[in-house]
Amino acid sequence: MSQSPMETPFGTQEAFHAAFAELYPRLVSYSRRYGATFPEDIAQEAFVILMQREVQVEHPTAFLYGTVRTLSLTERRPMKNQNLSLEAVAEPGLAGGADDQVLNQEVRERMRLLSPTFREALWLFVVEGLSIREIADILGIPEATVKTRIHRAKAQLKDQLNPSGGLHALV
Amino acid sequence: MPWSDPARRFEPAEDVQLRAELRDLLGLGPVMTSSVSEPTAELNALADDLRREAQHRSRTERKRPTWGLMAAAALPLLATLAGLGTWGFQQKNRADDLAAQAHRQEQELTRLAATHASEVARERQAKEQVQQQLQLASRKGNRKAEPYLVIPVEKPLRVMGDDYQRVKQKPQ
Repeated sequence: MSQSPMETPFGTQEAFHAAFAELYPRLVSYSRRYGATFPEDIAQEAFVILMQREVQVEHPTAFLYGTVRTLSLTERRPMKNQNLSLEAVAEPGLAGGADDQVLNQEVRERMRLLSPTFREALWLFVVEGLSIREIADILGIPEATVKTRIHRAKAQLKDQLNPSGGLHALV
Repeated sequence: MPWSDPARRFEPAEDVQLRAELRDLLGLGPVMTSSVSEPTAELNALADDLRREAQHRSRTERKRPTWGLMAAAALPLLATLAGLGTWGFQQKNRADDLAAQAHRQEQELTRLAATHASEVARERQAKEQVQQQLQLASRKGNRKAEPYLVIPVEKPLRVMGDDYQRVKQKPQ
């Protein structure tokens, strides 16, 4: 399905402005967590690439996150560590300035103890608020794999909270 | 309704519940939808700029090669192949002509050889007839056809005196 020149991937002009206002800070923050040097440029480039497409994408949000992820990883490809960084972690949904509000140390430590694979899926699902389908599109994996990773992350979080294996409940 | 609202994306209830449990495990608390970023004039201007940039790129960016361009690119190759095909066809016709000519020459030679052989046979037959007629004619004239029989004898290595005498004396 192709879009007319007056339409946007998000519908009307107002819907596009609303989506941009909400997604742009998130994408900048997401790109920064991958260690991008110019996260604003990457987020803007992702929007341009999305609107440049002749064929309308089914999940614009997932497309934007996936593009930002790819561009950020490409920018820092020479570096070996390509995992999601938790330094200066911010939750975009909780404040107007996405990078201003940093998650507390305890949450950051819990996330850090997770394996990088589970941490990325958990971050997109919980903090970014994306759906399983969108995460699958971003990471390029099946939905079932996303669910599995999230459930394993949940199990690891429970183990962190209850390292004795539930014995404390019996005491 | 915010863009990232799960209800807008028809997210299953179990996924919403799972997200709430995970937020609880992480100690994040519920999502506050009221704190969603509102569009500002600055953000709207940036969005419009990006949209114009996308439209500009769509107009100016080189498109992927179409079938016409690919056909034009393949034209020299097609012309070369056609030339080679024509040349090969001409060579084949030429070879066929040469083969037919060689076949005709071979047939002519065969015919000449047969004619020559028949002439030779005819001459031989005529010669035999002439010889037979000569033999018949000589018999009629009491002439021996073969006056004497010649038997080749080896000469002795050394001529003996007795033999010589005997040979010399024998006619006496």
